[in-house]
Amino acid sequence: MDLVTILKAAVAVPVIGSLLVPLAAKISVKARNAYAVALGLATFAAAASLLPHMMAGATATYSLSFPLGFDFVLSADLLSVFMAAISSFVSAVILIYSVDYISHYDNQTEYYTMVVLFLGSMMGLVFSANLLWMYVFWELTGFASWRLVGFFRSDRDVAKANKTILVTVFGALCMLVGILMVYFDKGTMDLRLLRGEPIAMGAAVLILAGILAKSATLPFSTWLPDAGVAPSTVTSLLHAAVLVKIGVYAYARLFGATFLVDPAFSQGVMLIAGLSALVSAGAALVEKDIKRIIAYSTVSQLGFIFLGLASGNKAGFTGALLYILMHSVAKGGLFLCAGIVEQNTHTKDITRMGGLIRTMPLTAVAFALCSLSVMGIPPFGGFFSKFLVFKGAAQNGGLLVILMFLAGAVMTLLYLIRLFYLVFLGEDKETNPAEGSSVMVASVLALALIGLALGAFIYYPSVYIDTLTTQLGIGLTDTLQ
Amino acid sequence: MTTGLLAYLLIPLFTAVLIPFAARTRHRLAGVLANVTLLAGLINVSLTLFNPANLASAFSGLAENGFALLMIFVIYLVALCVTFFSSYFIGNDSTVNRVPYYSLILTSVSAMCGIVTTGDFFTLYIFVEVLAVTSFALITSDDGAKGLEGAIKYFLLTFPASLFIIFGIAFLMLTAGTFSFESLKVIIASGLPVGGVVFAVSLILLGFLIKSGVVPFHTWTPDAYEGAYAPVSAYLAGIVTKVSGVYAVIRISMILRLFEIKAYHTAEVLMFLGMLSIVVGALAALRQNEFKRMLAFSSISQVGYIILAAGMGTPLALLGAVFHLVNHATFKTVLFLNSASLEKSAGTSDMNKLGGMEHSMPWTSWTSIVALLSTAGVPPLSGFWSKLIIIIALWDGGAKIYAVTALLFSVVTLAYFMVMQRKVFFGKPTEASRNAREVRPAMLVPVVGMCLLIAALGAFFPYIYAYLVEAIAARTIL
Repeated sequence: MDLVTILKAAVAVPVIGSLLVPLAAKISVKARNAYAVALGLATFAAAASLLPHMMAGATATYSLSFPLGFDFVLSADLLSVFMAAISSFVSAVILIYSVDYISHYDNQTEYYTMVVLFLGSMMGLVFSANLLWMYVFWELTGFASWRLVGFFRSDRDVAKANKTILVTVFGALCMLVGILMVYFDKGTMDLRLLRGEPIAMGAAVLILAGILAKSATLPFSTWLPDAGVAPSTVTSLLHAAVLVKIGVYAYARLFGATFLVDPAFSQGVMLIAGLSALVSAGAALVEKDIKRIIAYSTVSQLGFIFLGLASGNKAGFTGALLYILMHSVAKGGLFLCAGIVEQNTHTKDITRMGGLIRTMPLTAVAFALCSLSVMGIPPFGGFFSKFLVFKGAAQNGGLLVILMFLAGAVMTLLYLIRLFYLVFLGEDKETNPAEGSSVMVASVLALALIGLALGAFIYYPSVYIDTLTTQLGIGLTDTLQ
Repeated sequence: MTTGLLAYLLIPLFTAVLIPFAARTRHRLAGVLANVTLLAGLINVSLTLFNPANLASAFSGLAENGFALLMIFVIYLVALCVTFFSSYFIGNDSTVNRVPYYSLILTSVSAMCGIVTTGDFFTLYIFVEVLAVTSFALITSDDGAKGLEGAIKYFLLTFPASLFIIFGIAFLMLTAGTFSFESLKVIIASGLPVGGVVFAVSLILLGFLIKSGVVPFHTWTPDAYEGAYAPVSAYLAGIVTKVSGVYAVIRISMILRLFEIKAYHTAEVLMFLGMLSIVVGALAALRQNEFKRMLAFSSISQVGYIILAAGMGTPLALLGAVFHLVNHATFKTVLFLNSASLEKSAGTSDMNKLGGMEHSMPWTSWTSIVALLSTAGVPPLSGFWSKLIIIIALWDGGAKIYAVTALLFSVVTLAYFMVMQRKVFFGKPTEASRNAREVRPAMLVPVVGMCLLIAALGAFFPYIYAYLVEAIAARTIL
């Protein structure tokens, strides 16, 4: 198959396929589950098969003419394929895990439809080379996340889901204003034509508002911990694979690989990111709900990614992109572990857990491995990314920013150790349940081991990202190494 | 009057007259006749609109008046949805007399076709009055006390509107000596002083603004929609008030644009009222507990977008206004028809008594979700594109503050729909909703069809835009 067909398939298969999930559900439950998992795997296969081509220097573009410069352009380059591969991989693992996890709740058909639609809109978003279509897919992900967060239908769940969509849509509308400013300023919304153009401060700030709202960074961070009311697979999806990664991707795409931004803007982003990392790490230290702790951890880790992206040099940018990869795998694993723990103990309160390592050894090991990667302990993948981000920040960031992030990193260590200790070690609090089902445990172990493998074979992703940074990065100052 | 489109006016009128005789003993025949007439008209207009030859040439070879044709399509579509829905909605125990009901709907379809095909203000006025009288009677179809109250309010509050229009027309006769849109354009283009004409047209405009239910003249709409017989409220909100008020405003704005500087203040007032409607309608909708009242306020807010664009008056803004008018007809019809289904199945449209309807009425719930997402302008549904065009046009025309405010108010639109879906469709099932059953499949046909249209209008946006540019902007506006 030629590249353009694969590119079209990577977007069309999940988007159109998701609409047929209700039909598959008419056949049987098994058929529906198998179909949804197949869609996830097919999307991953399409995205992953593009990776070597991109590495070899190929690009693929598909465009459909729309009036007023709203052309629908899908474009595969190093960055978009990288992001698509990560998202679709984690989503596929989550879909496999869901088959067991979700099997005893209501609204399963809606769940599978929305997860696949979510993945599809994510694919559309990363491959879109037109700002307007990025916005369209951006809103589609908002819709899917709204339905998924509101999976359970109590008033509280529905209220939290509404909060999710209202915050992210408000951000997205700010972003749309920013996009329109660019449109009227430059006369186009095509990212390929906008490459290397300077962007007005006002437009940049408005687009940033949309990004921060989606990525749950201060001051829009509160919806993400609240969205933890959803099933663990959904939170895992939101944190690791799709939703919050959208903001990070958009930042990398727009301010890292398209527009030239004012250095003052980058400084501002670093400060916001530092503050966000610090505040949420503090919140993670005092929370008692296992999912809220991991959620705050995500907010905190996103700060590190933004730090790397905004630091304006190659080391930082490379580190941030690696960070996206490592964080997706590790955080996906953490949430899926939390899902097993929560489902088997019937509580989310960590003070009521303890000693689970004796009855759930595999889950505990997977949780520990993922935690170590998030903390950034060598030789896990998370170490390399964190190291490069700090290296980049040391070159360009102020002392204040560095100190905030160092404190954030230490706090990451503390809250994850606390979490692991309270949940898996210590005294047994109640009669501890047995291990989760084999598919679920296999999924989390796979993610944990991949996290370890990414550290061992860091050479391959780093070469890819190095090429990416060299080819696409804009306004980056120095050279790596 | 465009004679080529006269059949769309005369045939429903003929059936309207036929129904009392043909269906004298067999009342059910009235519904059949109405459905067949409207379906035939709809197929006919669709054949012209979606003719492959027209699509291939991007509508540049279209013989008819594109704006009128599009409006006729929407009128027939909404009317057919309503009559088809009604033929299953009206039960055997209903107090509604089918014969006058369908007869009146067909008469009003005929009047609306007259409004959109006419080329002068006087004929326009006559058809608008015919439409007002038929709607007045239709609101009271089920002889309910609320319906009567709504009808009286509708009559009393739109009565001054007619007064303004007739005064404006008289003044137009005195100053310009003509009612015809084309002659007015010529007079304006001639460079003579046109102060009197602007004043006359502004008076007419004021009348139509009242009829559109723009803030501060909006007080009649929630009462009329809430009190009206359920399918009739869909008909009123979906198309009748839009054609009798909003269409005329767009039409006048197409003429006023030629005044350029001379009608600047009128345009400014129009834009201000549009913005005010968006704000007041959306904020008021947030506080409603009654399903239909919330929809009515949402209608006011959406009409605000159209009026705002009409006030801007650039070709792009007018296209956005026309497109939004079409979209509004599709999604508001779905929402009001669904409110009728809710009322029939659950026995109430009080949002506090409903909840968790997604289980008992999944189709009604999900079609409503699609329609409300389109209303809130969530891409890639049709409502997104029309709002986007309007906002781009506003920005392009220099009204940046309006553009940004209008855009950000989409989030309020979304917020009140969030309230609605939480109380009605998702959330905990209540006593009323547990006992509710999904309405019969035939009643779902119109709403599902409309939802498909909403998705299609969004997906085939390039074609729609080509139609708007080639068939409307190139002929009617310029």
